[in-house]
Amino acid sequence: MTVYLGFLRRYSLAIVVAIAAILLVGFGFLPDDFWQILPQQIINGVSLGAMYALLALGFTMVYGIIELINFAHFNVFMLGSFIALWVFQAMGMESQNVILYGLPLIGALVLALLVTMVLTGALGMAIERVALRPLRGISGTAPMITTIGLSYIIYNLVLLNVGADTKNYANPLPPAKWEIPPALLFGDQAEIRLREVLLWVVSLILMAGLHYFVRRTKLGKAMQATAQDQEAARMMGVDVDRVVQTAFFLGSALAGAAGMVFGLYYNYTSFIIGYSAGLKAFTAAVLGGIGNIPGAMVGGILIGLIQSIGGSIIDVRWTDVIIFSILVIVLVFRPVGLMGRAAPTKS
Amino acid sequence: MANAPIERSRGLIPALWDRILSEEWRRSVLFAVLVFAIVFPILDKNEGDIDAAANAMAFAILALGLNIVVGFAGLLDLGYAAFFAIGAYTYGIFSSYQVQPVWHEWWGPFEVLGLVSHFHVDGVEPDHVHFQVSFWLMLPISAVVAALFGVLFGAPTLRLKGDYLAIVTLGFGEIVPIVARNTPTLTNGAAGLNGALPPYLPWYGNFGVLSTPFYYLGLALIVLLIFVSTRLKASRIGRAWMAIREDEIAAEAMGVNRTNLKLLAFAVGAGFAGMTGTFYVAKLQTATPEMFQFPVSVMLLVMIVLGGMGSVAGVVVGALLLQLLQSWFLQDLEQWVHRFGDLTGIGFLQTINIVQSIELIFGIILVVMMLYRRQGLIPERRAVTALTHAQQTAVPSRGGIKGEMAPLHHKPVDPSKPLLEIKGLAKAFGGIQAVRSLDLTVMPGQIVAVIGPNGSGKTTFFNLVTGLTEADAGSVKLAGEEVIGLGAHEIVDRGIARTFQNLRLFANMTLLENALVGTHTRTSTGALGAVFRPPSVRREEEQARRHALEILSIFGNRLLPRVMHLARTLSYANRRRLEIARALVTEPMVLLLDEPTAGMNPTETLELTDQIRGLRERGVTIVLIEHKLNVVNEIADKVIVLDHGEKIAEGTPAQVHSNKEVLRAYLGRTAAAPAAAAS
Amino acid sequence: MPISDGQQQPQRRPLLEFKDVDTYYGELHVLKGVNYVVGEGEIVCLLGGNASGKSTTMKTIFGIVRPQRGTVTYDGKEISNLPTAERVRRGIAPVPEARRLFPRMTVRENLEMGAYTRDDKAEIESDMDRIFELFPRVKERLMQFAGTLSGGEQQMVAMARALMARPRLLCMDEPSMGLSPAYVEQVFDIIQAINRNGTSIFMVEQNANMALSIANHGYVLQTGAVVLEGSAKSLRDNEMVQQAYLGEMKTS
Repeated sequence: MTVYLGFLRRYSLAIVVAIAAILLVGFGFLPDDFWQILPQQIINGVSLGAMYALLALGFTMVYGIIELINFAHFNVFMLGSFIALWVFQAMGMESQNVILYGLPLIGALVLALLVTMVLTGALGMAIERVALRPLRGISGTAPMITTIGLSYIIYNLVLLNVGADTKNYANPLPPAKWEIPPALLFGDQAEIRLREVLLWVVSLILMAGLHYFVRRTKLGKAMQATAQDQEAARMMGVDVDRVVQTAFFLGSALAGAAGMVFGLYYNYTSFIIGYSAGLKAFTAAVLGGIGNIPGAMVGGILIGLIQSIGGSIIDVRWTDVIIFSILVIVLVFRPVGLMGRAAPTKS
Repeated sequence: MANAPIERSRGLIPALWDRILSEEWRRSVLFAVLVFAIVFPILDKNEGDIDAAANAMAFAILALGLNIVVGFAGLLDLGYAAFFAIGAYTYGIFSSYQVQPVWHEWWGPFEVLGLVSHFHVDGVEPDHVHFQVSFWLMLPISAVVAALFGVLFGAPTLRLKGDYLAIVTLGFGEIVPIVARNTPTLTNGAAGLNGALPPYLPWYGNFGVLSTPFYYLGLALIVLLIFVSTRLKASRIGRAWMAIREDEIAAEAMGVNRTNLKLLAFAVGAGFAGMTGTFYVAKLQTATPEMFQFPVSVMLLVMIVLGGMGSVAGVVVGALLLQLLQSWFLQDLEQWVHRFGDLTGIGFLQTINIVQSIELIFGIILVVMMLYRRQGLIPERRAVTALTHAQQTAVPSRGGIKGEMAPLHHKPVDPSKPLLEIKGLAKAFGGIQAVRSLDLTVMPGQIVAVIGPNGSGKTTFFNLVTGLTEADAGSVKLAGEEVIGLGAHEIVDRGIARTFQNLRLFANMTLLENALVGTHTRTSTGALGAVFRPPSVRREEEQARRHALEILSIFGNRLLPRVMHLARTLSYANRRRLEIARALVTEPMVLLLDEPTAGMNPTETLELTDQIRGLRERGVTIVLIEHKLNVVNEIADKVIVLDHGEKIAEGTPAQVHSNKEVLRAYLGRTAAAPAAAAS
Repeated sequence: MPISDGQQQPQRRPLLEFKDVDTYYGELHVLKGVNYVVGEGEIVCLLGGNASGKSTTMKTIFGIVRPQRGTVTYDGKEISNLPTAERVRRGIAPVPEARRLFPRMTVRENLEMGAYTRDDKAEIESDMDRIFELFPRVKERLMQFAGTLSGGEQQMVAMARALMARPRLLCMDEPSMGLSPAYVEQVFDIIQAINRNGTSIFMVEQNANMALSIANHGYVLQTGAVVLEGSAKSLRDNEMVQQAYLGEMKTS
């Protein structure tokens, strides 16, 4: 937790100023019901943000170790959402025909989550082994072009198999929700749906797990060491290939989890969801400081909040444009990200 | 850092392939393709075929434009379709009735010029303006508009690693269609812009929906792009792009302004995309956001990767192959597979839809090419034939520098005033003070050696003087003018050039090209000059070549027989020589040599020592970092000793060697100490 | 070219041996048929200028680059094709050039990385305590990020980290680089102490005087080939070595 607190301390002034500036500038343009719906937007934003954070972690881990933007990650996420859907369907669920409660619900969710994560994780490892390891150490655009090719292969395989139409998601969650009375807020009442709570819990568990793995286990430490100095780590006897494989497995597994979360949250999936979500998650990783694991989590939440609150100020149709502008602004003014350490410049 | 690639045994086929790839073959193939393309509509009277070919041409043009960005300058642009869209919408908006401002006197002159028409319906108020700007006028305008966007979105990523350009352009490619969809007043949103005017030629009339005129227009644009690409590539600009692609830092240190040249590459690439967009919209007379999405950018990338990044002929072939694949081969293949399925009774084969899988095949092509043939089918560069036996076994001639030749530096130097004056130079990295408060004065014609143990800040000192690292404090004056604060390329221009200890040659460029990059600051050909090649540009190029060869000849027959070889094939010692030559080509007043003799044997070291002395004869002032003390003693007029970033001694070699402090810091324990330690 | 000082060399029992090793980077021929022997219990130093192939020798020992021809044997067995981890496990530990600590890990974590190939937790702890006796400064800095240490302290941590692997052979790449004279002497004293405890040492060094003063045997590398070898004393007395590395030349 010290990392997070340190971040808050270091940038507290900047954060306060930024929020104040945004509020002041934005005040004139705010829609009338802005304050009433703000609590609800925050809840939505944190939910979206948790999903982006899961996805951003994969980008940041792989980049941290082999300095590669893995474009295949976009569509591993998309495939993950389909794998979870197929698992639910295999359990006899179609859209919302089966609603589960209690242990069966948890069991079904855990099963779907595990299967999805293992399969996408394995896919990530396969991608690394077959297509990227032969290119390790080759400079220039070749490894990136390979990941674009892989991404496109996954994308089109899914498209050819499921077709171009949007798929209704199988969702065993009961439509339960808790209402927060207006007395506790400054505006309208807000509601927290069960699916949101579930999303938060899943994300928290996964991120805490990842944090534990990286900070406490031997392989996790080897991963840190490899990210900081690959050759020195190799000389200590670290099997760098295995570390890279692990990073791909974990990143892709988290992307798979994010894919399932996407389906449960929005109640649909489609072959096309990868690019928009992937781009936002990448922006989150850059915002938090690429290569920085806590940074990806913070960045993800921020991007989620910006998307939901920004959408309520301007228009939902423009959220992608807003996020993209943030990516460009961060790259221009603070390319190391909010919590980054090493500048990603070339020299 | 990979081990040496294992040479495959060269059989008949690789030899044949080499033949096919030779320059003459390429030209004749290109010419044959062109002739065929000209007669194709006459031979094939099928309107549908010609129409398909004309559409395909738009993508070939785009691929050629993208090749300038990706292939020449090495900047991975994944949102190229966005610039295509910008050109398309620019033309679409000004040639359709999508936007209809209310008529005002103000529009009068434009009406006279024929750019707009006054639209009036009896009984309906107010009147409106109808845009009808000529296609031919919009062709360059769209190019300029798209180029501006290229610069705007390339700029933020210039300081960063190339990966970021890829992601920003990908994002840009995503949002341009979104913006088009969300601004229906301008673009008619998702429904698409309709009714763009077709081109009109006075002697031909309106192109309308005919395919043939568009076909020839497309062909003309392709020829234009091939012409522009090849001209650019073989010019000062093209060499600078390739240098950036190979090693940005080295390019900067040779005087290439990488920021401007990268922006130029974006702008040129985006401009051609904009132009093509105009062509495409004029042909289809419609533009919808869906036409410009990511798959288009990927297809273009596939064409380039398949043909060979940076290879103009390769890109043409790549585009051709993909179009043939799409429009002809896959359909046949699908039928064959279906029949095979019928024959064998395998249900999967009977129904497989191969034509639909084209984009899957694109993905596979990208991966397979990257894994097995990164240079593409027709590589940009070929290994040059080996030296003859006679050349290989020739006795190395010393070359050397003839005293009577003109000075190597570009400006006269006042011999009575210090040429280089450094005061209080300092730099810290984190907590480590790499260089602290360093003073040094170098008189014209001096050879100054910087010695000191590894890690004592010598290379950082060079980086500060050449502007590759920003100094924390201090001043560096060259002939009285401050250079601290200037960019590295500007410092080269002022007259300080350098070599790198860890060798930063442009590995995939020839020796001659490497040397020619050094002429960058002393020449001035711009993009337009490179394309039109007026006599002044020819002269300049001719002079640059002569100058580069003259400098290369300093090293006798070490480098000259290999001028057409790629730098990566050189031996270690020759790499060092080429680095020095490349730096000399910039016509420096002060030359900084970072361990010029590292990795050389005693004979080679001696040879180089002579040559360095010869450089002084021709007026070059030299500061060198050197570990070999015999070299230092041999040639240095003055030696400074660094330890922990601090100058601990300065003087003639003899003075420095008798300095106790130096012996202790640089040479280790004094002679007495080791004996004590050993006992 | 082997040279000798005329004295009878004690019988050397080879721990590490290079036989006709050729190494390439891409098309660049870096090591050209080199032969080295590091005997059991010896300190052997490798002298040579930058780009002479010293660092490549280190990388070849650890398998970061693989020789294209020739063999590397350790403890009588060929190791040319073993992965790095296995070499470390068998007792070869590195002190890389410029220390190469993990800057954003604590000193303790760096030391733990040194013991990466070991699984005996309790013994790792006791080894750490033993190593602190040699490096009291390291103990004081245990919870600090390695990147915040001074150069000399970093060198101490780098050596301590290597010892955590319980090496029989310590390979050091320019241990004196960037250190102040006081630290250099301290480092060389510690190297001797480590050697006295039975660890053989193979050391690449530019500080030839210092290196030869503590070494038993030396090699001089030039453009990838061994041009001179012999006992440390014979090298110190050799005119060519004096000229090139010891700075004892007569300037006229």
